[in-house]
Amino acid sequence: MAMEGELLQNLTKKPVTMRFPYERAKPFERMRGKVTWEIDKCIGCNLCERICPSAAIEIVGKGRSAEIRYHVGRCLFCGECVDVCPTKAIETTKEFELAFTKPESMTIEFRRTKSASSDPEKQR
Amino acid sequence: MEWRRAQEVRDRVVPEEVTALLQLALFPGFLFLIVLAFFIEWFDRKLVAKFQNRYGPLHVGPKGILQPFADFVKLLSKEDITPEFADRTPFLLMPLLMFALAVTPLFSVPIADHSALVSFEGDLIVVMFLMTLTALLLLVGAWVSTNRFSTIGGIRTGLQLFGYEIPQNLVMVGPAIATGSLSVSRIVQQQTGGIWFVLTQPLGFVVFAICLLAHLQRVPFDIPEAETEIVGGWLVEFGGRKLALIRLAKDLELVLAGSLMTSLYLGGTGGLDSLSALVYLLKLLACVFILSNLRALFARYRIDQLLVGAWKYLIPLALLQIGLVEVFPW
Amino acid sequence: MSTITIPFGPQHPALEEPINFIFEVEEEKVVNVTPRLGYIHRGIEKLAENRTYLQNVYLAERICGICSFAHAACYSQAVEGLLGTEVPEKARFIRTIIGEMERVQNHYLWLGLTAKEMGFETLFMYAWRDREKMLEILELISGKRVNYGVNTIGGVRCDISSEMLEEIKDKLHQLEERAEYYKSVCTKDQTVLKRTVDVGILAPRDALELCAVGPTLRASGVARDVRSDYPYAAYGEVPLRVVTYKGCDVFSRILVRIDEILVSTGIVEYALENLPSGPIRVRVPRAVPEGEAVSLVEAPRGEDLHYLKSDGSEKPVRLKVRAPTLANLLPLCKMLVDVNIADIPVVIAGIDPCIACAERVMMIDAESRKRKMWSGEELRRYAIEWYQKR
Repeated sequence: MAMEGELLQNLTKKPVTMRFPYERAKPFERMRGKVTWEIDKCIGCNLCERICPSAAIEIVGKGRSAEIRYHVGRCLFCGECVDVCPTKAIETTKEFELAFTKPESMTIEFRRTKSASSDPEKQR
Repeated sequence: MEWRRAQEVRDRVVPEEVTALLQLALFPGFLFLIVLAFFIEWFDRKLVAKFQNRYGPLHVGPKGILQPFADFVKLLSKEDITPEFADRTPFLLMPLLMFALAVTPLFSVPIADHSALVSFEGDLIVVMFLMTLTALLLLVGAWVSTNRFSTIGGIRTGLQLFGYEIPQNLVMVGPAIATGSLSVSRIVQQQTGGIWFVLTQPLGFVVFAICLLAHLQRVPFDIPEAETEIVGGWLVEFGGRKLALIRLAKDLELVLAGSLMTSLYLGGTGGLDSLSALVYLLKLLACVFILSNLRALFARYRIDQLLVGAWKYLIPLALLQIGLVEVFPW
Repeated sequence: MSTITIPFGPQHPALEEPINFIFEVEEEKVVNVTPRLGYIHRGIEKLAENRTYLQNVYLAERICGICSFAHAACYSQAVEGLLGTEVPEKARFIRTIIGEMERVQNHYLWLGLTAKEMGFETLFMYAWRDREKMLEILELISGKRVNYGVNTIGGVRCDISSEMLEEIKDKLHQLEERAEYYKSVCTKDQTVLKRTVDVGILAPRDALELCAVGPTLRASGVARDVRSDYPYAAYGEVPLRVVTYKGCDVFSRILVRIDEILVSTGIVEYALENLPSGPIRVRVPRAVPEGEAVSLVEAPRGEDLHYLKSDGSEKPVRLKVRAPTLANLLPLCKMLVDVNIADIPVVIAGIDPCIACAERVMMIDAESRKRKMWSGEELRRYAIEWYQKR
């Protein structure tokens, strides 16, 4: 009978659970979601590829023409690549709802802009 | 009274057999009872969820009221497996019999009027008998499932029957002694003119509530189907349509338990004459509130603790209550 | 009387992780129990040999979801021992703070699970609702609710800024109040007392002989705690009280863990008040000199041990992990004999099992059914021969 008081009090309180997806929790400031590249700043030093604990980053090409293939499915969201990049080309976003229906969508390619009209970020 | 005159007109125009058949099938018969069972299950689930600070059923129908019906339909469409070594005929018949045993006593409880659909002198004894038969049926169903876990669940059902049945039957007889009749309808009519038995026999009401929790196999006495210990107990092998019927039968038993509490102790449908069904419903909801509150409040007992507690505390209290009723016969 | 055999697991509503117990039962009393592991072996020790020391910090974090910080801290300490680096003072304090916060959220989770095994659903819901507050604090500091990624070799990666202090202290205070409330509920509620008092008895002598660790050992009256016996991080400088109870049953384990929640919140508050200033990490070289290191940490479930062997390159030669649940399995088998079937889930939940931490390989000769012990060299030779034969 020890919890009877709290049980009766809870009849008048609002439930603690959230009605996802109609209500969502606000992500915190330091929350680490998917990472994204500003490809024009990348110098192709390969440091992010070497430090990634789960081999989620693949560098295609060399130097100033290197392009990034980012496997979201393998990413741990640890943020080591963000810390190690010498030109600060990598940024953490707050996107965490990352479920896709096709396996190909789990790889994001960051290609260099040859002209101003094409999109630097392409998702297959 | 408008209602009485309407009834007289109906009796003159429509033959009695057709009226009885319609009452049996629709109101307060099968259809009404099944709808009431779903509603009471929703009420119970929402109430327990409120106690636990969460939402409960939410999306199916307004405020989730159609959730039990949706669960029923979903289970009907699932695969129905019979284990290889199980005894086929008893295994297939058991859910149907359980449903039948859960519905039949409800015809003897007054729901829409001051006397029930089927009322005769001694129908209280029939109700008690059918309730015991349900527990024995569970034992048979568990035995023919030939699964280790269901065997243990069946044995626990039988042991639990030893514990709660005697005090339950004793306190059910208390109001009958005070009324001088063994008919549930007569007990309700006795309380309509006088005072409710919960005020003259409060001890019996408390013991009855505890024994009903054990009969319904709800926490703290859901030992035969303890999910975390024996994975579902006696109903572990039933699936698909059989499980749908069993769950409906359990809801109907909850309605029966609440109805007996209201009829025997809280005055049943007595009170306002033309709104007797509404009065009954409100009292039923109050009793289900008490049962749900007890469900959210306790942990689960062990079977030996239940038996020791029943024989040490419940039976002496029930006997004391009967003794008091004999001495002060109001 | 004949006995019937009941399999418990690997899939069972009472278990969070797959483990198999084969019980021989005689009329609701257990006569014999045989555990079987191996359902969730992931090969972490082998994976660790192919990654650099820094990448292995994240691998060590994922040995267990709930005590992830303890494993990462233990591993980092082992590497720092091999390197001979001195971790800055602020980093040691932050490691203490986050380690104790992890202990609090683990014990709340455990309280809910034990209540669920007893059938006390309401306490389960309430305990997990209160645990959310601790997870919010952890997300505020580190950005993640589990697998925080705070530890690194040479210090920590996140700092606790002074704007966070207000919110953290407020939530800690609420958690303390709730812990006091649950303690009063558990000591007063008749059903809880009936299900846990005198259930799962482990005598102090058996506990020491069978090498129990953690709250399981401390509930039998033995005052052993890595934080006070071999202080690491900042434990030498914060007020620590080792909680013991003499009951030796599940009820004592509940009381030990609730008291540990209160001790931990006290440590966090003290450490936040006296947080030193300074850097939070030092730069370390990538190659670790040759050597062997053993590191001990008090994970929420007990003593956690990491053994690391290096040979001067960037990748370790051998990482061996001995998780606390592995040490508690033998005492568990001793506790489970002569209990009722109904008490089995309560006793198993009482040692706080984390089977994912505890998976190791056991070699049994199928014909003679004898167990064999393998040394590192024999294992390597066997693996090479097996691959060559394919």
